[in-house]
Amino acid sequence: MEVNDDRPVIQPSVTSGGQPLEPRHEPPAMAADQPSSPQDGLSTTRDDSLVEPIIVANSTWTPADPTAYNGGQPPQITHLRELELGDKSDNARWGALDIIPTKADYVLDLIRINSLWPLLSGLACCAMEMMSAATSRNDMDRFGMFPFRASPRQADVLIVAGTLTTKMAGPLIRLWEQMPEPKWCVAMGDCTTSGGRYKRSYATVEGIDRIMPVDVYVPGCPPRPEGLIYGMMKLQQLIKERRGHWPERHVGPTVPVGV
Amino acid sequence: MTTEQTVRSLDDPDLFVETPGTIYDAIPPLPPRTEREAEFYTMRDGEMLINLGPQHPSTHGVLRVVLKIDGERVVDLDPVLGYLHRGVEKICENGDWHHAISNCDPLEYIAAMFSEAMPVMVAEKLLDLGVPRRAEYIRVLAWELNRISSHALFVGWLALDLGGLTPILYGFIERDEIVEMLAALTGQRLLFNYLRIGGVNGDLNHDFLSRLGDWMGNALKRIEDQQKLLNSNEIFVARTRGLGVIDRDLARRTLLSGPVLRATGIPYDVRRAHPYSVYPELEFTIPTREEGDSYARYLLHLDEIKQSIHIIDQVLHRMPDGPVMAKVPRLMRVPPGRAYVSIESPRGQYSAYGMSDGSDQPFRLRIHDPSFFNLQAVGLLMPGNLVADTMAIMASVDPIMGGVDK
Repeated sequence: MEVNDDRPVIQPSVTSGGQPLEPRHEPPAMAADQPSSPQDGLSTTRDDSLVEPIIVANSTWTPADPTAYNGGQPPQITHLRELELGDKSDNARWGALDIIPTKADYVLDLIRINSLWPLLSGLACCAMEMMSAATSRNDMDRFGMFPFRASPRQADVLIVAGTLTTKMAGPLIRLWEQMPEPKWCVAMGDCTTSGGRYKRSYATVEGIDRIMPVDVYVPGCPPRPEGLIYGMMKLQQLIKERRGHWPERHVGPTVPVGV
Repeated sequence: MTTEQTVRSLDDPDLFVETPGTIYDAIPPLPPRTEREAEFYTMRDGEMLINLGPQHPSTHGVLRVVLKIDGERVVDLDPVLGYLHRGVEKICENGDWHHAISNCDPLEYIAAMFSEAMPVMVAEKLLDLGVPRRAEYIRVLAWELNRISSHALFVGWLALDLGGLTPILYGFIERDEIVEMLAALTGQRLLFNYLRIGGVNGDLNHDFLSRLGDWMGNALKRIEDQQKLLNSNEIFVARTRGLGVIDRDLARRTLLSGPVLRATGIPYDVRRAHPYSVYPELEFTIPTREEGDSYARYLLHLDEIKQSIHIIDQVLHRMPDGPVMAKVPRLMRVPPGRAYVSIESPRGQYSAYGMSDGSDQPFRLRIHDPSFFNLQAVGLLMPGNLVADTMAIMASVDPIMGGVDK
């Protein structure tokens, strides 16, 4: 696509007042902006991107038991199309390890999204479906949202499950502040997203985004456990793409003053 | 005692964090307002306060209890309620009678089929409305299924609060199967919104009946498997037997009902004492236990599950044909008057006292939730026990904070 060069050139140095504008000062170069020496190991520069991943061949892994995974033989299952078409050795299980993109933050994000520890804090009805999502039938553990921690100091995700009343708002903010960064918040159910069926009540908060930042909203009254799992997978995607709230959060109280 | 008050701007982020006398402090900063408060917050030698809740995995919701402990023994406690007060009764007055059904749903959110029956039965009583027999049988079927799902969770929770992680997984298998079954019938897993004034929302469908048939085939066997898991577990028996003993006087004094009452030996069941719906036509026994401790309550829940399966069996065999809704107008003006209804929920006597002024809205709908009254007994039982056992007592009474705080 050709660039149209006939556009008028705006001269920024002449203003209506006749005073020439000073050229914009670039911010002073920080130490972190400078390209690092190769001896620095994992330290990367800001311009470094994922265009050239370092490829580590998966030659170090050998099965401890040679007969494991059918001894490297093609699997007996024949109805899986990807198994028929793809690599039939057991490398298929470990293929993800073949390429390791070595941007440290990206690796850290991968680690984060695969061990999201939610806080075991149920407020009302939705807590039942949250527990149902964590137990036998809909097993959230399969997706890396493993242990429901009872302490906010060990939790990554605050799933606000249930109606938030004005009396409970203070303790909930307290819980949120006690969670260490990085942390995310999932609003589960209609009551927490907008007030839901209790929007006109005198005792409830009409949506928790009035008092704390929210990353994912899961609608439903209550949402099915599959809905919560889908919301958590959306949160994983969000963390991976760095679209959550926490990169722009500063350290300190994240709750607006006056709540 | 005087404290220095420094003037701060509202933009100061530390303003609301460091303010003394917030809800997080166990000791209220004000001079005591009542004699009871003065007694509780006067500390003797070796006593300390610990705060339990409102976020605590074992308080079954958002109950907050300030425990005064001496060593490991609970001396006294100060319960703080209201963290889930949603103003349901007031909201019911602002909508019409049909809205009240869905508004009453989340009160008892583990067994919503019981709490949503309250406005329905009050309006039917005021209207003097006859419900079709098939609708009554479907209601009983849905109630008993919901009772089983609630009791299955009770067993899991009691073990969970004692530190056993396995039974809750089995309890949730039962609960999820029943709840999916009811979702096929009603369209919702948790807050069913199924009962209507004059009947039920929809007839039985094939999906529901096939799921029910699958589940009924091995329901009893699974209950017996659960019994094997816990009944002979030495730690479970040692920690629940003799714990939280409620005698009959205490039960009568604190208005207990449901399994907590029947575990003390009083065979009071609303289904038998004040029959409603089609329960007089069905055969069932009211299991009781004499001991009144946590272990008796646990065994009683298992017995009640068996009775509910027995009732479901009869209901399925006797299910009559016919319509599932009476002929009622869409805009329902309930004649003025007052009505009291009560049913037997998994936690006890669930009752409501409704008033109508002749409009299409309830003038007042007072809900009596058994969890609130059963929770009183917890407060009387906790002192003298270990801190770890308080959770077992509370789990054996099985309160739901949605009903306690309304």
